[in-house]
Amino acid sequence: MIKVDSKAWDVMVAHAEAKFPNECCGAMIGKIDGDQKHVISAEPMENAYAGAQGARYELRPEDLMDADKRARAAGMDLIGIFHSHPDCDAYFSKTDLENSCPWYSFVVLSIKGGKFDHANSFLPNAEQTAAEKEDLIWPKS
Amino acid sequence: MAKVLIPTPLRQYSEKQDSVELTGSTVGEVLGALTTKFPDLRKQLFNDEGKLRSFVNVYLNDEDIRYLKKDATPVAAGDTLSIVPSIAGGSGDPPVSLSNDEIMRYSRHLIMPEVGMEGQLRLKSASVLLVGTGGLGAPLGMYLAAAGIGRIGLVDFDVVDFTNLHRQIIHGTKDVGRKKLDSAADTIADINPNVKIEKYDTMLSSENALEICKNYDLIIDGTDNFPTRYLVNDACVLLKKPNVYGSIFRFEGQATVFAFPGGPCYRCLYPEPPPPGLVPSCAEGGVLGILPGIIGLIQATEAVKLILGAGETLVGRLVLYDALAMRFRELKLRRNPECPACGDHPTITKLIDYQEFCGIPHHEPPPAPGLKDGEIDPVEVKEMMDRGSPFLLLDVREPHEYLICSIPTSKLVPLGDLPKRVNELDTATEIVAHCKSGVRSAKAVDFLKQAGFKKVKNMKGGILAWSDKVDPKVPKY
Repeated sequence: MIKVDSKAWDVMVAHAEAKFPNECCGAMIGKIDGDQKHVISAEPMENAYAGAQGARYELRPEDLMDADKRARAAGMDLIGIFHSHPDCDAYFSKTDLENSCPWYSFVVLSIKGGKFDHANSFLPNAEQTAAEKEDLIWPKS
Repeated sequence: MAKVLIPTPLRQYSEKQDSVELTGSTVGEVLGALTTKFPDLRKQLFNDEGKLRSFVNVYLNDEDIRYLKKDATPVAAGDTLSIVPSIAGGSGDPPVSLSNDEIMRYSRHLIMPEVGMEGQLRLKSASVLLVGTGGLGAPLGMYLAAAGIGRIGLVDFDVVDFTNLHRQIIHGTKDVGRKKLDSAADTIADINPNVKIEKYDTMLSSENALEICKNYDLIIDGTDNFPTRYLVNDACVLLKKPNVYGSIFRFEGQATVFAFPGGPCYRCLYPEPPPPGLVPSCAEGGVLGILPGIIGLIQATEAVKLILGAGETLVGRLVLYDALAMRFRELKLRRNPECPACGDHPTITKLIDYQEFCGIPHHEPPPAPGLKDGEIDPVEVKEMMDRGSPFLLLDVREPHEYLICSIPTSKLVPLGDLPKRVNELDTATEIVAHCKSGVRSAKAVDFLKQAGFKKVKNMKGGILAWSDKVDPKVPKY
């Protein structure tokens, strides 16, 4: 189960809507207690994909490393990655799966017509062949 | 000793330590020491062949070891190794499925085995480009949207006009003055909100055609001019995409599928364009409002069949339709091996200048300001009438046009009848000729001058200008 605080959630949705019709990406930082993940802050990151970004994103490993360092410094953990799917549903696509990493939660935000529609969280396996859906709790208001 | 930073999710395999001090002179040795100390980490970082997993990057201080010496990168005391995943993705190729609402919407399709779930998913995965949202584009856009085509591109730069409404049913009276793209997109979204609409507010040209067409499975030509027909044809041949063709004129239409692999293209049928002006457009020759409905829906049917892979398509067959006789005929078409576009040795390997190819000057010479020699302004004609000047106002339009509107006191002699009825006219009387816009009456003036008339003038702008400048009660058509 992954729960996202409203402050972090607002940052994620605002970033996803601002980047529409392109995909956005970023990191989620917070605390882990057993299988309960609690996202306290979100860091928007630059989509480093070299081609058209309407249906692709790429995170720079350096950006992720920096986010990890900042999380450590704040006594927190890098918990997950978020990205958006402009004008389509929040599924975990073949492209998502083939470029995933099993260590983090992957939150996908569906943005339709520039506005947030719905979201899902996924846990991919190490072979990048399947992803399990994870309960995602966000402030619905 | 080098320090290895352990990412949060892997600490469960490193006895909860967030960093570990290890010895080794290369990256490979340090990682080896790490997985010896914590065997459970091995499976996370390395695949069965002992190689680092594709998503695992290792950084020595701030540098990716892939750009150093990889495993053999030397490690000095005080260095820090970080394990950083590479992460990317994207909606990419979404798995296509139908929602419950869509299943209900398409139920009459789904219960036919020729379509079924597989066919409906094909329609949803398909993309179609409509070149033009006019007479043909209207029924095409509406029915293809209703049928569940996933993505429809619309190309148009025009604005809805009152004269469009008798046939372009995708636009309504309230849309007059709006961009056709916006009006068509609204209608499509209302019919089926599941359709993704892509608007191109431009005229298809040699510069943009390949770029636009390459994003679609099928191209449907709904235009009414020769340069665009050749352009769409050549773009489809070059991109190896079917061109679902239709054309209409007055009471007759034709449709086929061009540029299908192995089948003929438009140039196989018409290697050369007609001389400019020979074939009148719908604006000049008129068109039965219902006609584009029939032809557009033949095109829509062919598009759906091509996507489904069902039935017998019009590849190699040209359907000719005559609305007055209510008859369909069919001509066989064959690919011409000598065709410059789709033949065995094509000479058209890129898009050309289609205006030039069709003999159309790029820029119409600007109309001369004021009146040309032998022309008279409608306002001056009205003044002559009001003064009671003796002159004959000669209307050279057709009788059915005269019934739409006419200028009082005018005498009707259609241009085509003028030679045999010229004796009805008096060379001593001043004559002012007019038609709808001034083109035919200019020909009448030329004819009369050659026949020996000296006092003839052409009313500039025809009855349309009369309506604008003199009497707005006279309707424009």
